[in-house]
Amino acid sequence: MAERRSNGAMRKIWAVAFREVRHTVLTKGFIFGALVVPVLMFGAIAAIGLLVGMQVAPVSGTVALIDPSGSVAEFARTELTPEQVAKDMEEMLRRNAEFKSLGAATGTQASAVLPSFEVKVDSITDTARTEELRAKVQDGELLALVIVPPEVLQANPVDAEGNPATFTLIVPTKSAPRTTATMEKCLARAIVKARVKLAGNDYTSLNSLLESPQTNVRRLSAEGAESDESRLTKTLLPMGFMMLIWITTFTSGQYLLTTTIEEKASKVMEVMLSAVSPMQLLCGKILGYAMVSMLMLGMYGALGVAALTAAAMGDLVSPGMILLMIVYFIMSYAFVATIMASVGSAVNDLREAQSLVTPAMLVLTIPLMLWLPISEQPNGMLATVASFIPPAIPFVMVLRVTASSEPIAAWQVALSIVWGFAWVAVFMWAGAKIFRVGVLMQGKPPTPRELLKWIRMA
Amino acid sequence: MTTAAVHLSSVRKRFGKTEAVRGMDLVVPEGSLTGFIGPNGAGKSTTIRMIMSIIHPDEGSVEVLGSDAIAAKDRIGYLPEERGLYRRMRVTEFLKYMATLKGLPSAGLGARVHAWLERVQLAEAAKKRCQELSKGQQQKVQFVASVIHDPDLIILDEPFSGLDPVNARLINRLIRDLHAQGRTIIFSTHVMHQAEQLCDRIVLINRGEKILDASMPEIHTRFDPRTVLVEPSSHNAAEAARLAALTGVERVQWIADRHMAELSVAREADPQAVMRAAIGMMPVRTVELRKTTLDDVFVELVGEAMPASEESGNG
Repeated sequence: MAERRSNGAMRKIWAVAFREVRHTVLTKGFIFGALVVPVLMFGAIAAIGLLVGMQVAPVSGTVALIDPSGSVAEFARTELTPEQVAKDMEEMLRRNAEFKSLGAATGTQASAVLPSFEVKVDSITDTARTEELRAKVQDGELLALVIVPPEVLQANPVDAEGNPATFTLIVPTKSAPRTTATMEKCLARAIVKARVKLAGNDYTSLNSLLESPQTNVRRLSAEGAESDESRLTKTLLPMGFMMLIWITTFTSGQYLLTTTIEEKASKVMEVMLSAVSPMQLLCGKILGYAMVSMLMLGMYGALGVAALTAAAMGDLVSPGMILLMIVYFIMSYAFVATIMASVGSAVNDLREAQSLVTPAMLVLTIPLMLWLPISEQPNGMLATVASFIPPAIPFVMVLRVTASSEPIAAWQVALSIVWGFAWVAVFMWAGAKIFRVGVLMQGKPPTPRELLKWIRMA
Repeated sequence: MTTAAVHLSSVRKRFGKTEAVRGMDLVVPEGSLTGFIGPNGAGKSTTIRMIMSIIHPDEGSVEVLGSDAIAAKDRIGYLPEERGLYRRMRVTEFLKYMATLKGLPSAGLGARVHAWLERVQLAEAAKKRCQELSKGQQQKVQFVASVIHDPDLIILDEPFSGLDPVNARLINRLIRDLHAQGRTIIFSTHVMHQAEQLCDRIVLINRGEKILDASMPEIHTRFDPRTVLVEPSSHNAAEAARLAALTGVERVQWIADRHMAELSVAREADPQAVMRAAIGMMPVRTVELRKTTLDDVFVELVGEAMPASEESGNG
């Protein structure tokens, strides 16, 4: 007789779990779909910045400026400089409140991404040379030709028909759109400066007077604590957190569903049940795919945190938030895994599974549909009520916890965890009963009423 | 006194409105090779699943190897009727996995798997994925999976179905070897001559009830032979038809390829008297009283009472 180890239920559960992990993680499908694709996508996003920087061609040459008044050239020469172009980029980032954190990191890099800019401005007052200069642009001798009609410099810049006066910028076809846009912006500002000067005013003082003030929005809590206002933090970040949990749990849930169906279809289920009990098999499968799910969460989460840190937004994610994320991840996985395993045990193929999974999926899409209102009012009635509806509890709570400028009431967090895990226990109890009956059933899939009967009879 | 490997007491199992097993009392003696026979849907597989603790009885008790069925799971080897393998697993990996689930330590598992694959002539398939194997090879892998942990009780549900004669003979020999080593074997089949050839004990199940539970010698004694084979010297079917007129003969069937008439003798008649009367009626080459087969027993106990509609479905 063979020497046997103890008939440990846990040993069998772990054996099942490790087989599931090995045969999921070490497959080409998983390595490519769940690991390589996201890493490639993340890498591609990072590479785009590098490629853009590498692709920027130096801008060097002469711009011919036809201006009968001769007043624009002096300003064009001061505008079309590398310093001014870099200043424009930094100003744009500074002014954009949504991306002010991002700006801190990228502003310093702005000049690095800009092309080297060496532009000479030739002022021409003779409009008869237009055709000659157009030909030079065509031949590539000139970087651009600028034609400034007199009406553009009037105090009221309109043309003969009363339309807004325009100036013309002629560039060769090979000119990069970004270079053209930069020149367009610099030349427009030079014309405004010339116009202001011609009107007898000082551009710098007028510009200072007209500049819109920046807003410093402060959120004041009931306790008097102040915090920054950031729409990015309040909308995109919660969505990111929720989608992270959503994707990791549902990817594993889908694996659980398909492997359970496969085990039934390939008739290996009865062989397995001769060695382990249905409950041990269910626990082993759920544990195995929990490990798969955690692997994905760890990988995607680490990438996300690394991205936030690189963008100088690492402080948006606190250790407490990560801890709550993990708790709600476990809860969400338990809900999804139980639903998928019990449905997988009850049906014969994926098509049949859809009709049983759909009702649960509808409830689970509540957080997706209510993302914006919950993110905007994380302490509102809608968010509070939605955060106690199983199995959507963990997804809604992740939205609320990450969206709120002030912490969600501790009692609500604690209650959602206790209430959520109580429902997890109910789902697992019912799921185990369905699994126990379903794995041995063949033939037509059960109706919801039959599933309830299984729960009562098992 | 013989110890029971399996002891079922008043076991009942119902699926919805269907009572699959009705108050089954059964003792499978330790070391026996017991055949479960019965028509489709008789309750054989349900009984086996309860012995395996895959499903549980609604009433009654199941005792396996002196304890409850769950505790004994690792001491039982089971080859289910509906076979299945993890298609993408390699043969060695699958067998190691099943052995681990059956409680074997990982040390020495590789050698054990290799030895078994040698015994079933599958050593060259060790590294293949299960989906790459032929149907017969897959069945042999499944057979090995059911016995690799040296179980004390082996339950084989239709072990020869789908096997070619060479592989069927190989499995037949392995079953005999395991029985000779003292293992208790329960063997479920529809093919009567296989059961007759292998088993030392027969349990006939019909409509969820045990209707026969006896050793093969007991069956041969209990069901005395009632078929007389007569080979007329003329080898003439028309002449043989005259045998139907003999007292005590219920029916005559002509077996063309053997040039013999098969006479069914009525229960109240004496087969010896029918044989003497046949010799007196016509010149004959041979007259023999055929030994009772399990087929005869099956037909007598089940066949004629079974409506055509019940001859399908799962056991």
